[in-house]
Amino acid sequence: MTALNNNKNSCVTDSNKVSFIFDGKKYFGFDGDTVASALLRNNIKIVGRSFKYHRPRGIYTCGIEEPNALVQILSEKDEPNTRATVKRIYSGIKIRSQNRWPSLENDFGYINNLLSPLFSAGFYYKTFMGPKGFWKNIYEPLIRKSAGLGKPPKEFRSKSIHNHHNVDIVIVGAGLNGLLATSKFIDTDYDVLVLEQDNILGGSLNSSQKIKTIDNLDARVWIKKTEDLIKKSKNIKILKNTLATSYNQINHIIALEDNSVGKPLASHKPELILHKIRTKHTILSNGHIERLISFRNNDLPGIMLAGSFEKYIFRYGVIPEAEPIIFTNNSSTFSLLKSLIDLGCKPKAYVDVRDESSIEKKTKTILETNKIPFYFSSEIEGCDGNKKLETISIRNKEKQIEKISGTMLCISGGINPDVHLFTQSKGLIKWDEKYLTFKPETAFQNTITIGSANGNFNFKRIIEEINEKLSLFNIKELKIDLESDCPEDLNITELWETNNEKKSFWSKSFIDIQNDVTTKDLHQAVSEGFDRIEHLKRFTTNSMGTDQGKISSINSLGIVSKILKKNISEVGTTIYRPPYAPLSFSAIAGRSTYEFYDPTRKTSIHSWHVKNRAIFEDVGQWKRPWYFKKNDKETMYEAVQRESKELRNAAGILDGSTLGKIEIKGNDALEFVNLIYTNAFTKMKPMTARYALMLGEDGMIKDDGIVCKISDQHFIATTTTGGAAKVLSDMEEYAQTEWPHLNVHLNSITEQFSTFNISGPKSRAIMRKVFSDVDFSNDKFPFMTFKNVNYLDTQVRILRASFTGELGYEVYIAPKYGLELWEKFFRYGENLGLIPYGTETMHLLRAEKGYIVVGQDTDGTVTPLDLNLNWMIGKNKKDFIGKRSLSRSDTSRKGRKQLVGILAVDKSKIIEEGQHVVKSSSIPSKIKSPIKYLGHITSSYHSPTLNYYVAMAMIEGGNDLIGKKFYVTQNRSLENISVEIVKPVFLDPENKRLLS
Amino acid sequence: MKEIFSISGIDIFQRDFNQIMIRGNEHEKLNQIINKGVSLNLPNENLKIVNNDNILIAKHSFDQWNLIYFNDQNYRDVLKLVSNLNSNNQVLASDYSYGQVYFDISGEKKNYYLNKLTHFDLRLKKFPVNTMAQTLIARIDCSIYHLKEKYIITCNKSFEDYFTQRLADSINL
Repeated sequence: MTALNNNKNSCVTDSNKVSFIFDGKKYFGFDGDTVASALLRNNIKIVGRSFKYHRPRGIYTCGIEEPNALVQILSEKDEPNTRATVKRIYSGIKIRSQNRWPSLENDFGYINNLLSPLFSAGFYYKTFMGPKGFWKNIYEPLIRKSAGLGKPPKEFRSKSIHNHHNVDIVIVGAGLNGLLATSKFIDTDYDVLVLEQDNILGGSLNSSQKIKTIDNLDARVWIKKTEDLIKKSKNIKILKNTLATSYNQINHIIALEDNSVGKPLASHKPELILHKIRTKHTILSNGHIERLISFRNNDLPGIMLAGSFEKYIFRYGVIPEAEPIIFTNNSSTFSLLKSLIDLGCKPKAYVDVRDESSIEKKTKTILETNKIPFYFSSEIEGCDGNKKLETISIRNKEKQIEKISGTMLCISGGINPDVHLFTQSKGLIKWDEKYLTFKPETAFQNTITIGSANGNFNFKRIIEEINEKLSLFNIKELKIDLESDCPEDLNITELWETNNEKKSFWSKSFIDIQNDVTTKDLHQAVSEGFDRIEHLKRFTTNSMGTDQGKISSINSLGIVSKILKKNISEVGTTIYRPPYAPLSFSAIAGRSTYEFYDPTRKTSIHSWHVKNRAIFEDVGQWKRPWYFKKNDKETMYEAVQRESKELRNAAGILDGSTLGKIEIKGNDALEFVNLIYTNAFTKMKPMTARYALMLGEDGMIKDDGIVCKISDQHFIATTTTGGAAKVLSDMEEYAQTEWPHLNVHLNSITEQFSTFNISGPKSRAIMRKVFSDVDFSNDKFPFMTFKNVNYLDTQVRILRASFTGELGYEVYIAPKYGLELWEKFFRYGENLGLIPYGTETMHLLRAEKGYIVVGQDTDGTVTPLDLNLNWMIGKNKKDFIGKRSLSRSDTSRKGRKQLVGILAVDKSKIIEEGQHVVKSSSIPSKIKSPIKYLGHITSSYHSPTLNYYVAMAMIEGGNDLIGKKFYVTQNRSLENISVEIVKPVFLDPENKRLLS
Repeated sequence: MKEIFSISGIDIFQRDFNQIMIRGNEHEKLNQIINKGVSLNLPNENLKIVNNDNILIAKHSFDQWNLIYFNDQNYRDVLKLVSNLNSNNQVLASDYSYGQVYFDISGEKKNYYLNKLTHFDLRLKKFPVNTMAQTLIARIDCSIYHLKEKYIITCNKSFEDYFTQRLADSINL
């Protein structure tokens, strides 16, 4: 086989030579070549090995439908499974064939082909059952090693982006029909977006010479003229190199733009752009896909679809073979036949399954005039060759086998409208007996299909169809003449598979070339009972490759319908799922990776925390200091112990800006907070505060916080950091839907205040220095009261409250002044031992006092009664959210899990969070019957003040077990730790520190 | 005012505005207080904006308005208006000045760049001048106000670093 260049009427010319590397060897192609066209130009026949049997494979098609020619692009971070028929070459691109070892020519995996009788349909479902233990140690590692085609890419930072569009009309495909449709919208009021997968417009006009003239202009001249007009029209935008991959509900289309076509990946530009398009109407003019015919060894390198062969000639300027053999069951191959003759090439034979009377006169005239061997009422029985096509066996009309030598066979089994996007949009398709294919019938969305995508293969009807289908837009009529010397319509005879003469392990008639599914597999699946097409698909893996069986899925329906003796319309079809073609994960992720993986929120003090060695934890989207490292060597444990100890001895400051804050105001604000929280607020004095609990309607604790009462009409409530948004939306929902009679308004003021919590025995002294005008004495500023204080040109709210059980204050200030005030605390407080502390230390300090952390000590199944927080429930309140649920049989029963303290009998022991509280001193090495467990440890910390571990646990009937001894399990030992159940307050039970 | 990005077709500046979030039911009463304070009437229709050179007022929802001062405003005056509004028990006014950040985005390519970050339909026929919307931009909750030839975008201050980085990133790529 020797390829020729075609400089006549081709989109790629030999003017710019480009070098590329394939499997370590340097070749030359031309600017505009795809990997496939460049390889064909260099007479390279084998480009990869097949998925299951490792059979040598060549280039089968010329587009996105390619099942065989998948390659790995080494120069692009090892991008695997790239379609050679789409990927454009550029100088220096390095390409490697896939699924072979040690080389493409000599692949060890080819042994699978010899063992192929073992790998019949359903092989995966029938094997690997035993012996026990083999799956984990042998089968799975082996399958993982041999699975897949290309190797996963190396780690790299993608720059892919997403782009959103809102338009009135999307036109998918800018071939002849797409361009004609687009031209109707020039200078109209419609916003139109045109998606074209190629880097040039025109589609099949560039791939063949089926249309001679349009509007009396040469087809390419007309394309140029039309494109110029479209570009001048402000309402139309064209996206080239952009493939529509998904058609979702409400006319939402996803399209992938390859932004680095024909050039290396740029370091500063996105390589892929994922377009997310919302449109009112979608016009699908995305053409058709040619299908194969199954015959013996129809996968040999050298076999190619006829339409693709023609596309290589005109789109890429390479004639893969000057003397191919053509095998068809329809009239579409006339175009290829004529083009070859026009270029001075002569097909070696023309094999047509149709009887002579059905074949167009034009075809017969060319064959006779050029003395091309013509086999009508004939078929290809099979092919043979060593790693490539060498001999073709023709079963002639007398049913005799004739063998001819040849290196290239062009086949056409008919044409399918490309209905993938249409079916993704939930449009219904219908079998067409004339064209032997499924055609769009009923659109589910505002979808219009035109041209061959609509099953219109008649050139004469194109203009009429477009005018008719686009008439709803009230735009100008098209009046354009198309001239073609090809057969006016598609004339096709049914043929899915030819009869095989020869049987051997090696010979196979493939239906799905990518997944190595044979027609024999289909027969076997049906005989085993998989006669529903969706079941058969999964059992055989037919059409489940990355190409989704674009060139073969209809053939498999045809074959199955014959086996089942049903019409194809009765057999039905499988569902085409998005994406239409594989999408890179980097395209899907877009910029939501690395630093943009999740939006991050920072407090106004963040920069100070960074400078002072804070280690952050993510709480929701917030970055909160977890602890502060004194030096590089200090561990987290050491830092938390140090912070806790220093705070209890002097003072610590916590950045609590992340806590949710909600302003509540209105004539009925008091009634509202009474309904929202369990606590009673009616008798509460203005300018005082209260620790409050919020329950769900099921009576379980949902959130907690401090509610400050400014007046009966005005409150400010804090929430947990993670619960802020949910609490506000719940409050808003109750206000608007459950209690619309209440006059109350809510605003989130989380962001309007930086909040600091200053705790410790020296905190009063520090506050006095920072706010010298305020009287912080116990009399004037008692626990759970607050004051508003002037500070610079704003006001600061100071609340006396405590997270830690120490004397403490919370300071609220506008974030503009937050950092200034924070630093001021350190200027005045450092000499008094003030240290910053993080959330982990806060948890330790809270645990020492038995203060719960919602979400840690509670888990959505805990009521206030379970935590002995009965004192927080307003007994005389008529109602509050969750009140009724607290008296349900389950929530009020004895034996519910209750919060208790846990201390190890041997205080040197470490109690771990999450461990079980049990009655036995050890766990048997083999557990034969379930072990009764009483509950689990919710919080556990080593207290540096007490110098032993303090823990809290939720255990069954905990209140009645105080003073009893049980055991706590360990992570790395079967021996359990002996513990005593105590009240969950370990430090300062009289609250002397708090009230000091 | 801080320049975030300024290239051909797009200019992004971070601005120091003041803002008050107002909630209340009795439109007429509320309107009188506002009109007395800033000489503008509250817009009646949801998502509509009224503005002059100094102030913008937008109606966010049935009982929610947003007042933004464009020019350097004495912060005490802002707090004073908040206080005046809050003297009426049926009105809640919260000072949002420093809890939000403000971006001024203009230029002929502003829609193109913003649509890298938001799905929102910015076309003039769908998002006319003097209207506003609350939507996701760069995956965070933002308010976007369409003024003549520019947008004002506001979001929570805690997102400031993330948002400015995303804005710059979308221009760079």
